[in-house]
Amino acid sequence: MVLVTVRLPSPATLTQAMRRLGLSDEEVDTGYGLVLIDPEQDLYALRVTQTAAGRIDPAAGGGHYADPRIEPYGPPG
Amino acid sequence: MRVLIQLRPAPDVVAAVADPGVTATTADVSDPLPGVVLDHSFIPVALPRPVPVAGGDPFSLRQSTTFSLAADQASVMVRGEISDDELSTRLTLLPCMRSDVVGVHADPVIESGLTCGGDASVGDWHDVERLLRVTELQAEGLDGSGVALAVVDTGINAAHIIRHTGRSLTLDAQRSWKPDGVTGRPGEFPVDHGTMCAFDTLIAAPRASLIDIPVLLSRRAGGSAMDGLLSDAIAAFAHLRTVLAAQPESSRSLIISNSWGSFSPRWDFPVGHPGNYSDNAAHPFNLIISSLEQAGADVLFAAGNCGRDCRDRRCAYPDRPISGANSHPRVLSIGGVDTAGERVGYSSQGPGRLTSRKPDVCAYTHFSGSGAFGDDSPDSGTSAACPVAAGLVAAIRTRWPASRLSPAQLRALLRRTADDRGDFGFDYDYGYGVVDVLGVLASLRRREMRVA
Repeated sequence: MVLVTVRLPSPATLTQAMRRLGLSDEEVDTGYGLVLIDPEQDLYALRVTQTAAGRIDPAAGGGHYADPRIEPYGPPG
Repeated sequence: MRVLIQLRPAPDVVAAVADPGVTATTADVSDPLPGVVLDHSFIPVALPRPVPVAGGDPFSLRQSTTFSLAADQASVMVRGEISDDELSTRLTLLPCMRSDVVGVHADPVIESGLTCGGDASVGDWHDVERLLRVTELQAEGLDGSGVALAVVDTGINAAHIIRHTGRSLTLDAQRSWKPDGVTGRPGEFPVDHGTMCAFDTLIAAPRASLIDIPVLLSRRAGGSAMDGLLSDAIAAFAHLRTVLAAQPESSRSLIISNSWGSFSPRWDFPVGHPGNYSDNAAHPFNLIISSLEQAGADVLFAAGNCGRDCRDRRCAYPDRPISGANSHPRVLSIGGVDTAGERVGYSSQGPGRLTSRKPDVCAYTHFSGSGAFGDDSPDSGTSAACPVAAGLVAAIRTRWPASRLSPAQLRALLRRTADDRGDFGFDYDYGYGVVDVLGVLASLRRREMRVA
């Protein structure tokens, strides 16, 4: 899965984002949902499959982004 | 950076330096060098010139060689410092501008033993209390009362902290949050890294309201038992923005302590790809940090445990390990020092990837504290230094909400008042230095008087 951003008038729903990006339920992490990144820019993020991300029209979305693993820093080993 | 400068002054000066009966000074040997702060406490040293016995390359040591201290052959070494920001320019220009400069060489710190992972504790959390001047903070009413402090980690075990401190604890269960699929209740997660972090925030801010955000327990596809995905942190920060927005603007304060990061570029898109995280300020997580900071949150990140002296074995970045949000210009990146004030060997060094001047400041780590990893194991890593600093920020916020002191002003205050260590001014080991509470308090008093 990768992160995809989309601009939608707030408040937006996951259904609206999926419709805008042309995505099906199977291509989206619905448990994650739609997350507001920056209210001033009406910018949202959602998680989609790599294949679906490659299909999204760049004009509709704001691009796709890495979703790297994160780990606690300590104790150093 | 500390440097050694090799000079070839006039032969009579070289002769004086080489003469054990004469004490020549740096001022005798060199005029001021542009961009170099000469160390006048250093006694210049004469360096002999290698001379091949039977001709040949004078710089090759793979032949019979003698060494000459003759005044017309030897050179002289002095010591100084060049700002990290100007290093490459000065190294190039100095030999061109001054004909007596033969070379400029590194002068690395040689030490018998920086504290490393696996070493015994250096002091305990009461020493940290003393170093953070908690008595003086509390005398000024700065104890974290009413201040929201989010610990974004593996979850908090409140009972363990209460048992180890013998004090009560305020846990804000209502404003706590967990990723989809994580089971457990705020303050009741297994004792682990997050409990250590929470404990360490309370050293300077014992009355802060802890918000439990166990993103590193996420089991989202791609994760494992004790890690998460950056998308979980994005969702957590979106939640924290609603927490902040619900506060009255006049008393708004939220500190977010993050002792985690991404160890490997393997999980990321390559640098230069528009979706990359480590070097890309436009990544959604880096954007949401800017958005929260602008709304009044203080965001702190551990610098990481990839210091050159004894790096964590998980570190996979070949250089510049302070990456992504840990190097964000709007966060405080926290390096680690032990309670003796020495940088711990694993504390990641700058420059950072999103902004060069990282870490910002250092705070205390590697002390006997929470016992989260066993009674004999210290609270260690920049993982401990970050919440120690977050606690100090929470203490300050008790009377200085974001409306009185913006997050940017608070970062500037901590940098400006830090106890300078390492090289003169900012350096990539200590940043601006070790947090200095007395300096902070004095500055806040002056500010209060100006406002009054």
